[in-house]
Amino acid sequence: MAVALEQEREPLEPFIEGITIPILLDANHLVTELYAVSNIPTVIWIDEDDRIVRPNTAAPGTDTFIDFTGVSCEPHMDAIRRWVRDGEVELAADEVQGAAGELDNDEINARLYYRLALHARRQGDQAAAEALFKTAGELAPHDFTIRRSAMPLTGRDPFGENFFGLWEEWKAGGRKYHGLNIDFKN
Amino acid sequence: MGTVTVLTESSAEVAGDVVDGRVAIDASALTDAIGWQLKPEGLCQADVCVPVPDQAALMLGDRIDVAAAAAAVGRSSLVDAEHAAIAVSQPATARDTVVNGMQAPNLVLPDLDGNEVAMAEFRGRKKLLVVFASW
Repeated sequence: MAVALEQEREPLEPFIEGITIPILLDANHLVTELYAVSNIPTVIWIDEDDRIVRPNTAAPGTDTFIDFTGVSCEPHMDAIRRWVRDGEVELAADEVQGAAGELDNDEINARLYYRLALHARRQGDQAAAEALFKTAGELAPHDFTIRRSAMPLTGRDPFGENFFGLWEEWKAGGRKYHGLNIDFKN
Repeated sequence: MGTVTVLTESSAEVAGDVVDGRVAIDASALTDAIGWQLKPEGLCQADVCVPVPDQAALMLGDRIDVAAAAAAVGRSSLVDAEHAAIAVSQPATARDTVVNGMQAPNLVLPDLDGNEVAMAEFRGRKKLLVVFASW
């Protein structure tokens, strides 16, 4: 199932045509708190008993951005197929347990500021919302679910220069990601 | 009395006020606010109670300080006095169950048509949870 970190359906329309799996709207970013998600795409494998057998993985579903990331979707997709077909996870229990990494207090507070920003924005107070989004971003500077998601909510393009600037900051900050690492080319 | 907004996994408008930067609500509204009720046994949700030895510490006059009640059940919070709102995190135990306990919670979220979908509907099947966005 797909969980969208979006306030409403409209921005997703270009991406969802023909999709038959459930698409859920997580406007309050609940999944980023419970699962410690700090960027998208993040893929999580959950078994029949609701056990998380493979936690947060920054794996793409297609090769749309392969020129930038250098990451092909095929290895992970093949691993998914083997898991579905044979039940094989191919990761040791100790590689998996706790691998997402707990949110620290700043990251939890960042999410609280973010919620208040969404509320102020809904009340029509855009200036207050921007100040609250800014504080959230300062508390969680490596978190794209805070910093990049706030861009379209504050009239900024989340692609182009704004994205590349954030990407450079993220690299300079040590490429922090809550989950299993992927080697990006850029 | 005015209205305050309590932002948890959902959003609740309850009767209350901001007093000295803290959100005060009637005790009877606590369940609507954070899903817990203050009883002599402590803070209770269904048949689980968390003892609260010093109940007076949760009170602002004869009303409940939402942040104090939330903290007593392991939930952080943040007040926006200007907009009469308080954001409340999930319990720390809930995060721990997922990240360390490797147990998927029963997430309930609306689909694109507004119908609520519960993760529990898919128990007994393998699930791929794909977190994505337009950005």
